[in-house]
Amino acid sequence: MSSIEPLDTTIDPVTFSVVWGGLLSTAAEMGSTLLRTAYSMTVREGSDFSTGVFDAEGNMVAQGDYSPGHLGSMAFTVRQMLDYYPVGSLGPGDAVICNDPTIGSGHLPDFFMVTPVYLGERLVGYAVNIAHHIDVGGSAPGSEEVVGVRETCQEGIRFLPTLLFKNGEPNREILRIIEANVRVKDVIGDLHAQFAANMVGANRIRALAEQYGPEQFATCMRQILVQSQEAMLAAIDELPKGTYHFSDKLDDVGPGTEPVHMQMALTIAEDRIICDFEGTGPQREAGMNAYMQYTRSYCIAAVKSVTLPRAPQNFGIIRCIEIRAPQGSFVNPKPGAASGARAVTANRIYEVVMGALAQVVPDRVISASSGFCNPKVSGSVSPFTGKPFLAWMSAVGGVGAHRHRDGQEATTSPTNGTNTPVEVQEMNAPVFIERMELIPDSAGAGRFRGGMALRKDLRLVADIGLVTNLGDRYENQPYGLEGGLSGTCAATVLNPDTPGERYLHSKGTYALKKGDVLSMRTAGAGGFGDPKLRDPARVLSDVRAGLVSIEAARDIYAVAIRTAPLAIDEAATAMLRSATARGVLEQAS
Amino acid sequence: MGLRIGIDIGGTFTDFAVLDPETGSFAIGKVLSTPADPAEAVFEGLRGLMAASARDMTAVSEVVHATTIATNTVIQRKGPPTALITTRGFRDVILIGRQKRWELYDNAAGRPAPLVPRHHVFEVPERMLWDGSVETALDEAAVRDVAQQLRANGIVAVAVCFLHSYANPDHEQRVQAILQEEVPEIMVSISSDVSPLYREFERTSTTVMNAYVMPGVANYVERLDEELKRMGVDGPMLIMQSNGGVATADVVKRFPIRIIESGPAAGVLTAARFAPAAGTNNLISFDMGGTTAKLCLVEGGKPLLTSQFEVDMTHLKKGSGLPVSIPAVDLIEIGSGGGSIAKVELGGISIGPESAGSVPGPVCYGRGGKRPTVTDADLTLGYLNPGYFLGGEMSLDAAGAKEAIDREIAQPLGLDTMQAAWGIHEIVTQQMAEAARAVTISCGKDPRSFALVPFGGAGPVHGARLARMLGCPKVVFPRAAGVESAVGLLMAETSLDLARTQVMTLDEAAIPTLNALFADLEMRAREQMERSGIVPERQRFTASCDMRFAGQGYEIAVDLPPYPYTVADLSALREAFFEAYARSYGARSFETGWDVVGVHWRLRATAIGSVLTMEDLERLDGDVSRAIKDVRQVWFPETEGFTPCTVYDRYRLSAGDVVSGPAIVEERESTIVLPPDSTTRVDPHGNLVTEL
Repeated sequence: MSSIEPLDTTIDPVTFSVVWGGLLSTAAEMGSTLLRTAYSMTVREGSDFSTGVFDAEGNMVAQGDYSPGHLGSMAFTVRQMLDYYPVGSLGPGDAVICNDPTIGSGHLPDFFMVTPVYLGERLVGYAVNIAHHIDVGGSAPGSEEVVGVRETCQEGIRFLPTLLFKNGEPNREILRIIEANVRVKDVIGDLHAQFAANMVGANRIRALAEQYGPEQFATCMRQILVQSQEAMLAAIDELPKGTYHFSDKLDDVGPGTEPVHMQMALTIAEDRIICDFEGTGPQREAGMNAYMQYTRSYCIAAVKSVTLPRAPQNFGIIRCIEIRAPQGSFVNPKPGAASGARAVTANRIYEVVMGALAQVVPDRVISASSGFCNPKVSGSVSPFTGKPFLAWMSAVGGVGAHRHRDGQEATTSPTNGTNTPVEVQEMNAPVFIERMELIPDSAGAGRFRGGMALRKDLRLVADIGLVTNLGDRYENQPYGLEGGLSGTCAATVLNPDTPGERYLHSKGTYALKKGDVLSMRTAGAGGFGDPKLRDPARVLSDVRAGLVSIEAARDIYAVAIRTAPLAIDEAATAMLRSATARGVLEQAS
Repeated sequence: MGLRIGIDIGGTFTDFAVLDPETGSFAIGKVLSTPADPAEAVFEGLRGLMAASARDMTAVSEVVHATTIATNTVIQRKGPPTALITTRGFRDVILIGRQKRWELYDNAAGRPAPLVPRHHVFEVPERMLWDGSVETALDEAAVRDVAQQLRANGIVAVAVCFLHSYANPDHEQRVQAILQEEVPEIMVSISSDVSPLYREFERTSTTVMNAYVMPGVANYVERLDEELKRMGVDGPMLIMQSNGGVATADVVKRFPIRIIESGPAAGVLTAARFAPAAGTNNLISFDMGGTTAKLCLVEGGKPLLTSQFEVDMTHLKKGSGLPVSIPAVDLIEIGSGGGSIAKVELGGISIGPESAGSVPGPVCYGRGGKRPTVTDADLTLGYLNPGYFLGGEMSLDAAGAKEAIDREIAQPLGLDTMQAAWGIHEIVTQQMAEAARAVTISCGKDPRSFALVPFGGAGPVHGARLARMLGCPKVVFPRAAGVESAVGLLMAETSLDLARTQVMTLDEAAIPTLNALFADLEMRAREQMERSGIVPERQRFTASCDMRFAGQGYEIAVDLPPYPYTVADLSALREAFFEAYARSYGARSFETGWDVVGVHWRLRATAIGSVLTMEDLERLDGDVSRAIKDVRQVWFPETEGFTPCTVYDRYRLSAGDVVSGPAIVEERESTIVLPPDSTTRVDPHGNLVTEL
């Protein structure tokens, strides 16, 4: 990718700072508009959307901090969309949509929407957002089925770049086509919400261009990219040059299938960081291939978090990160490959990059996180409404440990979204949540431990339903770093602790009947550093909280805990820890 | 009617304002705050004031008070051992939260520590459904068992929050009764009382915080109340709530969460007081202090309210704090103030959120600060007088400030020192402008129809510039800005917000339910008002509702016409929503055929009081030369550099005087910067009204 060159005019640093701040707040405000006007659970409760501001040439200048999967692909998607609608073909109040997985963020549910912004006759930029729609048709409710899905056409309705709003008015014919091809009407409302967000963004962008003049505004936008690029190059310059390797795997792509090997060679070069997936397994006939756009997104998210975590992301930064993946591999499949459930691949993409980076900047990385389990529960008749229902039942575990702190409990990573409150979930779908709680002793132990696994049990209240499960780490644990242990594996159990108890496959589709209990248990997140070096006071605090058992404290952390009242047995702990040290020495000799 | 006293406890000073409603005469005072026991400063200041005015406390008929005690208890985690009782299976609701990361790329970012540790969360068997029906009956024996565990664990306060209790409070109420029997020494907060709104994490967080601050607030309020009575005060002590209304000590002891934003609310009310001076009911209150600035809109003379905010945030980032679902003045807080540090970042100047605080403080304080701050820039520009800071109590190091700006900002960016100083001043003001635009332009409100009211130490320095950026035509610099919040308290009215979640489509079937709901809320409001000694003739009620289109997840606040309703009112109710929606999100973002749903139904009860007026300032000959104290060089972009600028003493200005910009007006607690091409009049009450 060619370097970004400054425009041939100067800009005073004060105006520059002011415009930059204005663009960032524009992106944030577009996000709050989208959230507050949306209809589906995915957008309004899950925050599964992103926003951005682009310059008149289609360069991404500012983003709202929402979903990394969208943010990394946005810069490239918009350029491809604008190839279909060159300058002059769009007017104010227009909006182009696209959900093609190769152009967009890698699966059909993600709809991009692009709106040009004019000051008078002059094009000054674009307002852009992307939202994950709860259903776009296809083989299974939620359009994220893995098993038996071989190609994109099975996964739902697809739009190459298409004009949906013209001068502020929707094309109702197209909306009707969409309505006829999806399972729930939320999609139509969410498209209106996306348009409202772009209108709010366009107004703000226009006001900035007016205040500072379109020339100066354009110079500022270019300067933002130039400065970001310089900062990124400086950050890369500080890192030790070389190539670092890491590998991990996905459990499988459905019952009875082989694991997917993920191989990373990360190179710190003079002027860029290269993430190379050479050696990664081939694309599969299952709905979880990660298109290049998506793979790129999570590579960027990992690299950015250890180079310029606080800097606003834009094209100036991401152009310094190069992604290489063999065509036809699992992380760069050929067009047509099925990809609906590719979100389950996000963690592994991120984690192989992070694992390689751990050899470069161990102070800035995290161990593998729990990830999520996101079954869709659906049915044709809700007893509350008489209508079909479809609900995401996401359970999200904890974050991997950092070299200097424990991983956060129950927090999305590396994806970023909000959960649906139990009260909202029960109000909107015929399910009854029996429990939602952390699972003790599930985190990878370490000097700093990972976040605990989460358990969420739900009971079906409708007569019959269907669950399309989606998860991973049921076979391969989230890794720890520098002697930190792995977290526990995930599981989905049907009717636990009953005679009919049954372990479900992480990617299977199953029929449910009234009263069935689906128990989702995420993986535990990986630890960091030797558990026997953990501060005993922290171990005691976890024991008191009921998150670590007295046995685990003794056997894994080498901390002896007395009961009634709970306290550290200092002498016994000293013995345990010195015995451990001896054991290590003996092993070494 | 006797004297009315306003007391505002701040971080550094406790401010007093005393008004004699009969003569309109008023006095102000200030003593150093006593953080270890905030009541000490109150008593000391009161005794001083009374002695100075030769009145005694028996002449006082009402004391209105704003305090930061509740917020500080949370931020400093000073509350006593507090517990939470939840529905079985949901022990971790406060640890799980909403699961989003507030800082997307920072691998080390954390969440605030919960106010209740996991080992103090107790589960009991019980379960409600979303329609209010009972799925599992409350296990009372288990509750009694938990009660004993609370006592054994030394718990002082407990929050009770069960799933769907907003739809049916029976189980929570029963638990409260049982705890009262078993462990009467423990203070209990139940979520269906504190914040009966759906979304369990936010409701639990609110209830837990109520429980957490309750012992400290109750103790403080009781002590203050008793002492005031002992000193001879005959009337009630009222406390400012986050929503801008005052409540009695009795109500505050039960719902201390309502005073979390007590201090800032007093400030905003203050601003609202200047509507007549500004000649408009639309104001932007702008309070800029040392580390943060707070903005709030006042529309139609009333501060704008929000139904949810956060406490204990990191870098004021959304999602980083503990959520509270209680109506509060809708403050936008910005992490920059006079002490914010300026630095070069990514080729531009960035300011805050890092602050030099008071130690070491800005470079010009000469206490070891090395990094330039906003105050250093203001001094370098000539806005501040190095010899008259805090009325001359402190002298400022102008050379040091200039040198730091030159070294840290000007040289790295290739600017001259004055350009850099101006850059700092402009960028920090621009940050305020961005925040103000987010609540005006973006919501379809034109800042050109608002007047700005700056206060706080740095507010008057930046106020006129901010107004110019926003296009506000007028700025009102209040008299006695230094104790402004205390004066504002004198104007507060008693108010109370009640709410209930009931999701209802706006159709014919909803009308009777709606009428019953408001009748019930009104009955509860009347009860609470009467307990506060407010006679029915003074009680007023207004209804509002948070509405959305069916299927959406977030509501917008809509003011409703007076209830009760008939079927004929349906279209007016829907229309009120459409209007509010189009204002926020644009007229083309919806179709009018879609179903409209009401979710949180709210009733605001207010007690109308008497309007208070202050005595006027004397009008003199209009010759302002009497107030001139100096002429000094001051830097303005309009004059492209330093220009000779007249400096006035605010205390020597009088009613009717006119000052032309550029000019500086100095007072003890702040400095007013009046830019070129502005005209300022002193109004009869002593406020400076600037036209830009």
